[in-house]
Amino acid sequence: MTLHSIPAPERKYRVAGHPDLRVAILDVGLACCALEVGAAITAGLLVPEGSVDTGPATSEVSVLLISGTVTDALAPAVIRAWGALAEPRLAVSFGACANTGGPYWDAPTVTKGIDQLIPISVYIPGCPPRPEALIAGLARLASTDGPCQSERGDESP
Amino acid sequence: MIPGEAHGTIALSASACTSCMICVRECPTWCIELDSHTEQVSEPGARRPKTVNVLDAFRIDFGLCMYCGICVDLCPFDALAWSPEHDLASTTAAGLVHGIEELESTWPSADCAAEAGTPGGDGSPSDS
Amino acid sequence: MTSHGRTDVSPADWLEAMAGLRSEGFVLFDFLTAVDRGATLEVVARIVNPVTRVTAMVWTTLPADAAELASLSDYYLGATWCEREAAEMFGVTFIGLADTRPLLLRASLGKPPMRKSAPLVARAIRDWPGAAQATDDGRQGGNPSRRRQLPPGVPEVFLHDDVNGDVASAELASGDQR
Ligand code: SF4
Ligand code: SF4
Ligand code: SF4
Repeated sequence: MTLHSIPAPERKYRVAGHPDLRVAILDVGLACCALEVGAAITAGLLVPEGSVDTGPATSEVSVLLISGTVTDALAPAVIRAWGALAEPRLAVSFGACANTGGPYWDAPTVTKGIDQLIPISVYIPGCPPRPEALIAGLARLASTDGPCQSERGDESP
Repeated sequence: MIPGEAHGTIALSASACTSCMICVRECPTWCIELDSHTEQVSEPGARRPKTVNVLDAFRIDFGLCMYCGICVDLCPFDALAWSPEHDLASTTAAGLVHGIEELESTWPSADCAAEAGTPGGDGSPSDS
Repeated sequence: MTSHGRTDVSPADWLEAMAGLRSEGFVLFDFLTAVDRGATLEVVARIVNPVTRVTAMVWTTLPADAAELASLSDYYLGATWCEREAAEMFGVTFIGLADTRPLLLRASLGKPPMRKSAPLVARAIRDWPGAAQATDDGRQGGNPSRRRQLPPGVPEVFLHDDVNGDVASAELASGDQR
């Protein structure tokens, strides 16, 4: 399997209800949770920058959004995507699979939490989380100072 | 925007919980933990004191929970309910583990519960 | 689609039976997988006659501890993919299979994970929260609810210490591979 190419460049969005905030999202959509990101866009909760007339944003964050099941085979690609994201960057773990392995917590091939590999700033629970939960999580991101290393993050290589 | 029957999170009514452990044992992701102890309660008129379980701690790890609803369906005492509350993001993995206080704070309002046709509203934790 | 039904053959006749069906027009390979029955491992292949739209399921039974079978890849190129999968998931050795690279798993995973004897490491190394009992206030005596509880769906053998020992070292080994 060749996973050497990095996914599409991040896209910029405005976050509904948070007019000052602009997020540049690199979405690593690996399973069902990824659909909720599309749902957030369709529902107008994530508004592609430039698609409507928006005022100036006062804060912009570069976000690696890990939505879906990370397998041990795919984990190196997630790490590469994180490495490819320009600083300042923050990572969001979206859904039970990315948070802990979720429904696949007992599977031998699934990474038990992406925070073992990269520092996560915001964890969004759900299977899948609602699009509104994504928005709430992104809003939380704007108020964090930076990635906080979780206890589990200490195991990262 | 979020319908009342939305499966946002799982809420607990600690006063309704009998510490029977059914939800803990049936949860497929092993994400519920419960501590309890037994106490002897003497009721007036009863010949012998009754042994009751007293709930000490109830934790759901929402990092692990797969929102299958098995715990809600199986609880014989309607102590668990779906709640439309969804803003549960945390900046730490440990912050996704919710104890009794957090689990009670999301108990659905009577309106939500009526829409969802599930327990809630009546017997809300605040009534206890 | 109509079905040709189930055909059971001995492992020695596997290749011949499949070749025979192929010459009868069952030229389309659909899938191949295995079923763990404990002491034995069954392998099943499903093939289709695209003209008559008849399907055939061919089964064979192998000893679980010596699961070897002739590869169908000379007759059905498409079987290669399924055989690679059955090899890594169920530990079947396909004799004559040219491409034995692991398909989906890391090569170092250890026991084929679809074998029932492969422990679910995560469940074996974690304490089951359902084992907790209410601590009592010093009262002695039998409480019928205090029989030993086991997690549903986890074979008791997974919870034995010897398995846990195995598992812990397997976990360490696979952790090194990361
Ligand atoms: S958390 Fe649930 S919805 Fe999301 S990817 Fe995993 S299984 Fe799918
Ligand atoms: S919804 Fe399912 S996974 Fe979540 S606590 Fe209840 S039983 Fe466990
Ligand atoms: S099943 Fe209901 S009553 Fe029993 S421990 Fe769980 S929440 Fe409490």
